[in-house]
Amino acid sequence: MDQPEDKVPVFKKWGHWYVLVIGFLLLCIVFFYFLTKHFS
Amino acid sequence: MSQLDWIVLAVTLLGMVAYGLYKGRASRDLDGYFLSNRMVPWYMVLLGIMGTQASAVTFLSAPGQAYTDGMRFVQYYFGLPLAMVVLCITFVPVFHRLKVYTAYEYLETRFDLKTRTLTSFLFLLQRGLSTGISISAPSIILSSLLGWNLFWTNVFMGGLLIIYTVTGGAKAVAYTQQLQMIIIFTGMFLAGYIVVHRLPGGVGLSEALHIGGRAGKLNIITTGFEGKGGGFDWNDKYNLISGVIGGFFLALSYFGTDQSQVGRYLTARSLSESRVGLLLNGLVKVPMQFLILLVGILVLSFYQFNKEPIFFNQSQLEKLAHSKYKDSLVIVTRAYDALEATKVRDAAAGVPGAAGGGAVVGGSKAEVTQDGTAGSVVVGSGAGTQVQVGATQGVAAVEAEKAGYKATIKRWLKDTGGDNNDTNYIFLRFVTDYLPKGLVGLLIAVIFLAAWGSIAATLNSLSSCTIIDFHKRFARKPLTVEKEYQLSRLYTLFWGVFSVAVAQLANNLGNSLIEAVNVLGSLFYGVILGIFLVAFYRRRIGGTAVFISAVIVEIGVIVLNILSQKGIVPLSFLWFNVVGAVGVVMLSEVLQRLFGPQRLRGVR
Repeated sequence: MDQPEDKVPVFKKWGHWYVLVIGFLLLCIVFFYFLTKHFS
Repeated sequence: MSQLDWIVLAVTLLGMVAYGLYKGRASRDLDGYFLSNRMVPWYMVLLGIMGTQASAVTFLSAPGQAYTDGMRFVQYYFGLPLAMVVLCITFVPVFHRLKVYTAYEYLETRFDLKTRTLTSFLFLLQRGLSTGISISAPSIILSSLLGWNLFWTNVFMGGLLIIYTVTGGAKAVAYTQQLQMIIIFTGMFLAGYIVVHRLPGGVGLSEALHIGGRAGKLNIITTGFEGKGGGFDWNDKYNLISGVIGGFFLALSYFGTDQSQVGRYLTARSLSESRVGLLLNGLVKVPMQFLILLVGILVLSFYQFNKEPIFFNQSQLEKLAHSKYKDSLVIVTRAYDALEATKVRDAAAGVPGAAGGGAVVGGSKAEVTQDGTAGSVVVGSGAGTQVQVGATQGVAAVEAEKAGYKATIKRWLKDTGGDNNDTNYIFLRFVTDYLPKGLVGLLIAVIFLAAWGSIAATLNSLSSCTIIDFHKRFARKPLTVEKEYQLSRLYTLFWGVFSVAVAQLANNLGNSLIEAVNVLGSLFYGVILGIFLVAFYRRRIGGTAVFISAVIVEIGVIVLNILSQKGIVPLSFLWFNVVGAVGVVMLSEVLQRLFGPQRLRGVR
């Protein structure tokens, strides 16, 4: 539950922030996987 | 170091102390001293979190780690973004709502005094010791590489920051961490740029990566199933699975229950700014670590075109030169240097594949077939030792031969009681050998500042736990605001002096110190996390059940570590966090069932 003074910056919900962080991590892992394959 | 380097180093360090003293003026009460009156904006929270986590060893060790073991170390951080999300959902709102000074205060509200005291004590024990090691580890490397006196290096590494940390508290820590991170990023960026700039014409970043890839160092993603049997290797420290699961538990414990981190985001202006600081840390940490490791790959590529030292820690080689292996060392070094000279000449002449494999280069071979104690080694054949010079081999054979010489040196060092791990010396040796004047001083300053940022936050948190969880909590008479403030400064000073003293005592442990910091943390973090997980997610479990479980599981983790060190249980230390956390949750669940229903108390 968000507290009253806890305004969410940039997005509408904190859930969007969480999706961004986890999505970016997945993107990094995929990127690293292709880097590993490409340069191995 | 040149005169210019000394000037850059002195100005940077003294400037940082002055800046901390200037910016560290806050109200003379606990709120001002430990929480900066809760007025810190999100970007300073972010830099504070990053500065607290990134110690000197991060910048010294990571490039060397990539150089020797490849980039798979980055997987260690994959659990961190997930932990940031869980923290923002569960831990941080509770800490903010209760307006606690320390994370452990919450445990008394939720459980009882004994659980709070035990957890805070475990934190003080673990952090008090590991801070001393955090001072000693970079000091040993700097003193060894630059010939500095180790006692005084420890004093400067852990002593100067005490001035502004004692005086200005959390506010001084926050402002100096902000400036420190800017200087550190600038220094590391310049180092990376100069490595690429110093590569031969036609060799850019892409070619450097190909060289790293051919050397097998771009192993960024590994699964842990690459071993012989095809099964998962539980002893493998860095792979996707241990990074996501073990790293998650470690990060959740470190950021959620370690007061040195909790104290950073509790200084934020609001819950929202705490959350943004943590979530942005989750976004930038993995790419940042990737880039630091990439510097190691660039240094590796650089050494394909330049002479690579046979052992990066020169002081250990000098010790070896005065041991029973002195004659053998001359022969091996000479043969190795011949191989390196050929490599550099061929690379400069553009021999295809000279850098990184594929073509034939000239080389020489020195074969020491016995340990070669003094007087037993001759050039040619005889006395059981044979040295052949002038053979021509393929690159793979040359590389194998070089590896053989390096292994020989390491074996001799081990045999003579020396430090045979030079991973942490690779980056700094490159800095001192190849970076221009002035920049060497800046990079040395980066090492000091990285240590300071981490240690200052820890001293502040050790002091806050001592006064809030122990002195104030157990005092018979209430303390005045001024008395609390003065005691807080005294405790900060005490922990600062204590840490430097531990650093002086830890000096003879050598390079194993860095591993010791990680293992020490993993021994306690899991159990502390388990206590907090029960507090947040298992509301029917009471204080006595969780307290007894924590004590039993802590003893179990310590026994597990001993068995792991002896090789009886093949388990990497990263898994101790999982064992500790899951163990406390499960055992307290069982004990609570035995004790019967617990009257609900506490806050969510």
